[in-house]
Amino acid sequence: MRNIETEVLVIGGGATGTGCARDLALRGIRCVLVEKGDLTHGTTGRYHGLLHSGGRYVTKDPQSATECARENAILRRIMPHCLEDTAGFFVITPWDDPEYGDLFAANCLKTGVPAQELTLAEMLRREPALNPQISRVFEVQDGSADSFLATHATAQAAREYGAQILTYHNIIGLVREGDRVTGAVLEDLRSGERVQVRCAYVLNAAGAWAGKIAALAGLTVTVVPGKGTMVAMNHRMINTVVNRCKLPADGDILVPIHTVAVIGTTDVHVPDPDTFDITPEEIQLMLAEGEKLVPGFSQYRALRAWAGVRPLYKDVDGASDRDLPRTYKLLDHATRDGVQGMLSIVGGKWTTYRLMAEEAVNEVARYLGNTKPCRTAEEVLPVPVTAQRSPAPPLAGSAMRYPRHEPAAPDGPRLNGVRAPIGPQPIYGLDAGFYYLGQHLADVEREHAQDELICECELVTRERVLAALASGAANLDDIRRDVRMGMGPCQGGWCIYRTAALLFEQRVADGVSSANTNAALLHFLQERWKGLRPVLWGDQLRQARLDEQIYVGLLGVHRLQAIAEPGGGLVTDDSR
Amino acid sequence: MAYDTIVLGAGLAGMLAALGRSERGERVLVLAKGHGATHWAAGCIDLFGAATNPLAAVRDLAATQPTHPYALVGVTALEQGLARLRAACEAVGYPLVGSAERSLLLPTAVGALRPTSLVPATMVAGESRQLGDGRPTLIAGLRELRDFFPPLIAANLRAQGFTAEGVYLDLPPSTRHGAFSPMNFARLFEQPAFREQIGRQLADLVRRGGYARVGLPGCLGLHQATTVVRDLQTQSGALIFEIPTLPVSVPGARLFHALEQALVRAGGQMQIGAWVRRGEVQTEQLVAVYSEAAAREQRHTAQRWVLATGGIAGGGLRAEPTGEVRETALGLPVQVSAAQSAWLAQRFLADAGHPIFRAGVATDRDLRPLDAAGRVVYANVAVVGAAIAGFDPLREGCLEGVAVATGFAAGQH
Repeated sequence: MRNIETEVLVIGGGATGTGCARDLALRGIRCVLVEKGDLTHGTTGRYHGLLHSGGRYVTKDPQSATECARENAILRRIMPHCLEDTAGFFVITPWDDPEYGDLFAANCLKTGVPAQELTLAEMLRREPALNPQISRVFEVQDGSADSFLATHATAQAAREYGAQILTYHNIIGLVREGDRVTGAVLEDLRSGERVQVRCAYVLNAAGAWAGKIAALAGLTVTVVPGKGTMVAMNHRMINTVVNRCKLPADGDILVPIHTVAVIGTTDVHVPDPDTFDITPEEIQLMLAEGEKLVPGFSQYRALRAWAGVRPLYKDVDGASDRDLPRTYKLLDHATRDGVQGMLSIVGGKWTTYRLMAEEAVNEVARYLGNTKPCRTAEEVLPVPVTAQRSPAPPLAGSAMRYPRHEPAAPDGPRLNGVRAPIGPQPIYGLDAGFYYLGQHLADVEREHAQDELICECELVTRERVLAALASGAANLDDIRRDVRMGMGPCQGGWCIYRTAALLFEQRVADGVSSANTNAALLHFLQERWKGLRPVLWGDQLRQARLDEQIYVGLLGVHRLQAIAEPGGGLVTDDSR
Repeated sequence: MAYDTIVLGAGLAGMLAALGRSERGERVLVLAKGHGATHWAAGCIDLFGAATNPLAAVRDLAATQPTHPYALVGVTALEQGLARLRAACEAVGYPLVGSAERSLLLPTAVGALRPTSLVPATMVAGESRQLGDGRPTLIAGLRELRDFFPPLIAANLRAQGFTAEGVYLDLPPSTRHGAFSPMNFARLFEQPAFREQIGRQLADLVRRGGYARVGLPGCLGLHQATTVVRDLQTQSGALIFEIPTLPVSVPGARLFHALEQALVRAGGQMQIGAWVRRGEVQTEQLVAVYSEAAAREQRHTAQRWVLATGGIAGGGLRAEPTGEVRETALGLPVQVSAAQSAWLAQRFLADAGHPIFRAGVATDRDLRPLDAAGRVVYANVAVVGAAIAGFDPLREGCLEGVAVATGFAAGQH
């Protein structure tokens, strides 16, 4: 039994939890973050990667829209290396209400979401694959975000300021002394060791799992896990985020991110955030909706499908999930339940994670008597070693390619006494260095590393795999989240084998045996298969058969089952 | 040019069919989009998975699974096809060893033991009975080759009770940088200076470690593999064996080359890069096919046809999102035994495999394609290899065996 004393225990290693840890650490508050899997193991690592402009919410949820617009500008400043400045379109297709265009434009103005109508000729010049029957288009400041990298960068900043981050630690129980939460009992999933944490405050940032955590303290928090299914296509048929200009619905966003385009999402209530399936109907719906934006969409090659569970908080019994508020809620269990020393953060979305963390930590700081101001909107995040890059990108997002128009509304409404960001914002990318699509290729060419590629699809070099291992990646799935190994068209045909062998070679000194490596390899193959199964036809089915030929026919990995056993922290049971 | 027979597809099945017909005096053309499954398989001849006596197991199929392609063509076609293939390999100085009546177990690039039946002489010293003779084995590779990891292979061999160690060799300094693919290493090993440098390192390791044999990546030469292995054995003082690496498969390419040589000698012609997209039919006979190459369509005519375009992996079959499975060259009826919802098992490594990969064209005993009612579609077409319905070449461990048996059969009658 290990013992840990700290001021604040943060539960959850997603965007919100790591954001809280960083904010606490920057204010000089000691904290420990605990996550049952790897960082981003939950919903953060399972979303489409959209950096919201706010446009999606201007009508339905104006407060969310305004928060998104403000946070969007902040994130561009503090984590450009985690963002691609794709810009975004809201398009009215023949299936959408043409009247909504004017309302959308007016509501963008009201909520402070920068938006600009473009001519259809301009739209087609920039995105020739879009449906020529689109009748109106507005440009907004959407982008795409690498939520894995952003969370690692946030965690690294938190560590640099003294936060302790424990991944693969499961919460077994929260300790309550009377009407006060005073700590937690954890299990180190790698060693099986128990860890006793004593703390002054518990910050429950477990997202879709927040209800399960609250229950450990005898509290009731009703989080409705809303399953969102996404499909990644092997091709960036568009380089701009494309949204349907209508009230939010299923399959209405197309996000170009890294080497793929992701279409999302559905929204289906599921009883348990740990158990859900993807149905063929959901996939068909995504492809059919994609056709409306990009004719021929369903003929592109679908690479994989996956689902994340939104942490939607249910105040009252509502109708359909999409009508639940997107805006997050801070549940102070002292005022709500009469239990001191615990706060649950529920709801929210990735784009506003920093703001959620700021407001939650404000509460905690007040409780602890800490008066230092929040600095998370000012300090730029570090660049993790797995994201090394060329010093001078040749271009940065759409800014370089498509110079912006002049501001449309010089004097817009005010938000909290500050002029709302109407019209074009300063482009930080040229100075700050946004991620751009050719970045990894430029690195490979600069380093002459063509012969060092472990994952050819995603241009992952041996050096980056080793950097991921050195920075604490415990298993193949961790490495995937760090460097995107295995996420391209071949879905790991070559690189799963190579990475498993490198993992073995690096960790053999720590006592990892080949039996542990075999278990990790078999486990990861099955994880990839889960994402492939819903989209296997055409070329991707052919690819899957080639991968089966490699792993079953050529390597005979199924014959390793007799000499495969979990161990060395390489595979943990994530169903717990 | 008017051909007697045109073969669509250049894998083992297509090449053996083309060879058989050329040797019977026909004018033969092989039309193929690209290389066949040879180039992504191990370069061994798998007959029937782990059956102790594959030939006996094939014989039994006639009673238990009469529509299995082995049962359709019979065990004699398999034996004669194997003999023809062995002769073709022998002729280019690349002998296959082993027997159809027993299985061999050879180490893979993760150190698992894989059952097969006929293997190139360059691999046989790694057979499990030899590995288990108590004398130590060295697995050696080069870091520059990204598809071969000696420490993991050796560790897994040790976990199965063998004495093995893994080591990386130094890349000979004279080697230019770039393009360290298995195929390029094969070319490097054909340079005497390169293999001498490797041999010297091996000799040193063998002297110090007392290794009886050394396993190296399966890229020891493309056309001179036997010479490369012999030289390395002489120099190192240990037996040398190859372990197949990830695609592109150098040992598989050698099998293709052996058959290509035999076909050219027999007067057959080949056109690789021609993708057959459709056929032309007159009164239930296929009279022509149309291929695409260099953005041009070309019409080819022949009296008889062999369809050897492979299964889903080979591109001979294609599954649509709607659940339809097409035969891609001629549009033949495809037999799919499972509904779309049951195409794929929950587990990737499910023992029974995935039902979709048993899809194919049903045939009669002359390998002529049948429709759903069991009627012959085109009397002058034979279907061979993985395009045939009702078996999973990968999970049954009979990819090469069925290709050889059906390809040979289509080359005879």
